Amino acid sequence: MSETIQSGHRRQELFIKKSTRVAASYLNRAKALSEMPEAAKPFFNVLEDTYVKLRELSEKESRKTIGTLCVMVPSELIYAAGAVPVRLCSGSYTAYSIGDDTIPRDACPLVKAVMGFGEIKALPVFEQCSLLVAPVTCDCKKKLAGVIDSVKNTVPLHIPPLKKEDADTEVFLRELYRLIPVLEGATGREITAGSLAQGINIVGEAQYEMSEFLWYRRHDPALLHGTQVMAIMNAYSYMPADAWARQMHRLNREMKSRLEQGKFVSRKNQPRILVTGSPIAFPNLKIPLLIEEMGGILAADETCMGERGLYDPVSVIDPGFDGMMRALASRYTKPCTCPVFVDNSQRVYRIRQMIREHKIQGIIYHVLRGCLVYDYEYQIMEEEMGKLNVPIIRVESDYNEEDVEQLRIRIEAFIELIKLKEYADLQGWKNLNKNKRK
Amino acid sequence: MGKYYLGLDGGSTYLKAAFLKDGKIVNTVVLPTGIDNSATAKKIVAALCKKYEINRSDIGYIMATGYSRKILDVADDDISEITAHAYGVRLTAPKEYNPGMVVDIGGQDSKIIYLDGNYNVKNFTMNDKCAAGTGKFMEVIAQILETTIDQVGPLSLESTAPCDINSTCVVFAQSEVISLVARKSDRRDILAGMHLSMAKRIIKMIKKSEKGGDILMTGGGALNIGIHRAFEEEMMRDVYVAKYPQFNGAVGAALIASERGGA
Repeated sequence: MSETIQSGHRRQELFIKKSTRVAASYLNRAKALSEMPEAAKPFFNVLEDTYVKLRELSEKESRKTIGTLCVMVPSELIYAAGAVPVRLCSGSYTAYSIGDDTIPRDACPLVKAVMGFGEIKALPVFEQCSLLVAPVTCDCKKKLAGVIDSVKNTVPLHIPPLKKEDADTEVFLRELYRLIPVLEGATGREITAGSLAQGINIVGEAQYEMSEFLWYRRHDPALLHGTQVMAIMNAYSYMPADAWARQMHRLNREMKSRLEQGKFVSRKNQPRILVTGSPIAFPNLKIPLLIEEMGGILAADETCMGERGLYDPVSVIDPGFDGMMRALASRYTKPCTCPVFVDNSQRVYRIRQMIREHKIQGIIYHVLRGCLVYDYEYQIMEEEMGKLNVPIIRVESDYNEEDVEQLRIRIEAFIELIKLKEYADLQGWKNLNKNKRK
Repeated sequence: MGKYYLGLDGGSTYLKAAFLKDGKIVNTVVLPTGIDNSATAKKIVAALCKKYEINRSDIGYIMATGYSRKILDVADDDISEITAHAYGVRLTAPKEYNPGMVVDIGGQDSKIIYLDGNYNVKNFTMNDKCAAGTGKFMEVIAQILETTIDQVGPLSLESTAPCDINSTCVVFAQSEVISLVARKSDRRDILAGMHLSMAKRIIKMIKKSEKGGDILMTGGGALNIGIHRAFEEEMMRDVYVAKYPQFNGAVGAALIASERGGA
């Protein structure tokens, strides 16, 4: 018995050594992209604290933290219960290889990484959570909600696979009411109309700063690198929303002054690329990094770790308690473009909108191995993009570094394809690989 | 005097070079890639200079492509294989070819490139981490059947009843072939079966949405008449083979070099 514990400790030690090294290297690569904004540093510090320095969520008021997954758990309710939500969807390659032992081979790497952290017990923000609220979304997350309960107290949250009819929203509303006593039990604090309104305001601030930020992100030439934006968005998972909003406010001011000074990170003729598909969770920044290291600009993302979680505000029409609850039920299902919903035509609409707003020239469709729901929607996306004459490629990847060269050649060729399409004249062609060789 | 332009294609098995002058291919060279790609490339440049009695400076521009494109330091720049192959087709496709699909069978990967009417790349697909649809697979099977890679095609055409080979993995397919040998199957039938299985594997990569234009085969694999015929049989369409199929990437790189250096 003591021997197993010993080897368990040793495994944890080796895990920490490896996982912190991987996280640090991705942070460094993302920071190394030119002209990182000064105000982006606090977000990088949060990721470093979480994944490299292995610190708990920094909290002055010592509120409890509650784990969540996906983008359908209303953070507002968690704030209303006096706790802080921490989103535990992870891109850790090291945790993935731990979870790989318990989760079937064909399941997606993200659930393996989450399970891996559950088992290895080496990520303080994970351990700190007194409860995990796990939405029942895709098949992998559904089964994860079942098995992860063995290592972390978990409450599954039913997400209706249909969302169009009022009856569907009613189903989710009942679920949210059922969640209230669970959250109250975890924190010992009652959710009142007052605390819920406050919760909505806290998240609303973050959404407000986000919408402001999106305005800057649309700018061509780009004001900052999209890989750094992905890191900033990932930091939201490990920060209280008000702290994130404060830092975002600083970043927006810096963006404003960059715009006024004409300080840009992209040159003319750098293809503006949108990434959509399976989540891009820290530290798995390999796709954004490859895009920007190969000479593209990641100008937008339609992913759940990116702007999807913060795009739409909660609109409260009836300020009574039930009115607020209804607004939450509606906000967390209706506009959500996650492909777990049976009819997800909004996603195509949203991407078409983003192509216009962000001046997108090509789309990289990211499919994590085993992520069926996103793969399902590739076909329709390809058809729609064909109509718009916007090039799109599907790249499949996993949580390891063995496929980097395969991804690199695809992404590099895709960037060349866009350059030739957009700037087919010799001048554009001459600029194709400028600066690639010393 | 017009300048020379050189395209280098550092593949997984061979390093190919195409030498271009006045928009025409004047020479092609192939050497095993070896352990030091960069030195092999230098050797090729030196040999070409000697043969044509020119200096390195008479070569207007050198463009590298292929797996080792980033480490060939004799080159002025590098380009992805996809773009290089799409360009190469402009010089190597037969006159009657109406641009559409390019199927490249290389040593380590196969790729399908979709072109529009002006030879611009519209889209592409590549195989993943698997050698079962590639030249390497042919080499492995040729070895088991005690023949050489250049005999594989002609032998397979003599088959009357191609064997079924179902494995999707080169290692499993290899053991499948070994068991066919043990059962005394005719090696011509085994080879024909291998070509059909490769063709099926590659055809699975073709996008349903991209079927316009003609099909052109490039890459070392296209030198194999057996795979060419198997492709026609499985696609139920005529399939063209590029001139210098093995050098298509190098030709494309050389053509890009001439545009770059000439502008």
